[in-house]
Amino acid sequence: MISSIIGQLFGIVPFGDIVFGFSEFSIIGFVVALIFTIVVYLTKPEKQLEAQKFRVEDKLEVVSLEELKIRRMMAIVCGIATAGAMLTYDLFDYALFLTLVGIANIGIVSAVKKDWVLNASYQYGLIAMIATLPLFGSAGMILAKTGTLSLFELPKIPTSLLFEKIIFAAGMAGETGIAPFYASKAEMFRAPGSPYILMIHLSSLLLIVRTVEILLTI
Amino acid sequence: MDSSIINVVNLTIHAFLVGSLLLGLHRKIIARIQGRPGPPIIQYLLHTIKFYVKEITFPITAGNPLYIFVALLDVSVWLTALIIAIDLKSSLLIIIGIYVLQKIVEHGCGLSSGSPYGKIGGVRSVFSAAAEVPLFAVVAAIYLTTHSVLISDILNYQSIHGSLLFKMPICAFAFFILLVSKAPNSPFGIVKGKDIVSGYMTEHYGLLASIIYIAEAIAYFALLWIFIAVFIGPWVVSHPLITLAVMVGLTVILAFVNGLTPLLAPHHSVMLQMTIAGLVLCDVLYRLIMGG
Repeated sequence: MISSIIGQLFGIVPFGDIVFGFSEFSIIGFVVALIFTIVVYLTKPEKQLEAQKFRVEDKLEVVSLEELKIRRMMAIVCGIATAGAMLTYDLFDYALFLTLVGIANIGIVSAVKKDWVLNASYQYGLIAMIATLPLFGSAGMILAKTGTLSLFELPKIPTSLLFEKIIFAAGMAGETGIAPFYASKAEMFRAPGSPYILMIHLSSLLLIVRTVEILLTI
Repeated sequence: MDSSIINVVNLTIHAFLVGSLLLGLHRKIIARIQGRPGPPIIQYLLHTIKFYVKEITFPITAGNPLYIFVALLDVSVWLTALIIAIDLKSSLLIIIGIYVLQKIVEHGCGLSSGSPYGKIGGVRSVFSAAAEVPLFAVVAAIYLTTHSVLISDILNYQSIHGSLLFKMPICAFAFFILLVSKAPNSPFGIVKGKDIVSGYMTEHYGLLASIIYIAEAIAYFALLWIFIAVFIGPWVVSHPLITLAVMVGLTVILAFVNGLTPLLAPHHSVMLQMTIAGLVLCDVLYRLIMGG
């Protein structure tokens, strides 16, 4: 039973094939993602105190206004995509939100003018692009096998989806950049601009929890 | 339990006071292990109250309002965990979501201050999240065994089939490692290691520090309660005094573990937690293949 995983289901909002569901789990995830998006919009980036190589004095790393604007916008897109991913009960729709979060994550750090951050962002981008194949591929296989992508309908169909679930989990791991694909994304966290970096972390972690919920449900 | 506002307030105060005293006891036992008299058991409570009445300071490098928001978020996430776990006995998945937010708090706390120590604490929190969150694979194993992740259903299952501690010892061990990670002076406590002053909490002072202390006391209580409810069973959590006695017992064990082990290097800490998470995943696969 789906309610034994997500808690009480309060209602659904169908937009044609795409269905948004409001359960204890999804409401908490949605509200958290929205609150963080608002905080990210309101917060000014911190000034990081960096030690210098071969020099005695420290240096204040300041995020310029130009850089701030594009990074803030991408962080807000990331927040909205995460909030959407929390509510959706359509597997294809969820995969789309997941890729949108991946794109926004690259966008958040791509404006930072530092070699190592850009390198990490590039490597993460490659992994995220490769991961879209298993992600959408598994959704396609599930559709071919069961005839639906609705997370409310899939638990009712008595078909083993173990292989598809494993591929979907691998796609999610690449897209959110968690272990074992962690090495590239870790360097991105060292970039200045805490609110935006925090959004990368938050979106990844919330999406992992949501994926666990989906994999247990279907 | 009747989830009226008075009950929730009662539960919160109870969790804060018991959590604080248990953390005080934890510190006392560690001190005795190290041959010191140690502070009184109520020291954690006194510490919290002392910081509560001190003024707040903001570093000039801090990014506001995130700097304040993360402290408030910390206390609100653990209050939510407390209500969802103990009052509503709802989904364990929501508890994972909340634990995940705790990692966000640590990350945000460290980065928003602009301090290099806070930043290292925050980045270490990201690394440790990569290792701690997979430990929640225990939830999948629990689901395969009990066919539910709701705490109320897990308690019902245990009242019929017996304690999960003996049915899934590897999962219980993995969850216990999570408790060890969350307890003070833990070998996995790289985010607040003394090599980086106080890690992510280095710059938070006064009222903000006090709020984080309150959250940590509630978190300690909530996590102990969840461990007892999920793995030991309804016989303990239905009696407040027995619950308290088991919590004291667990605190003594945690204090001995933490008092007798050194702080691990960050990569060792992550590797060890990942290894345990790998064990749990093997257990999950075994249960999946054998059909629960």
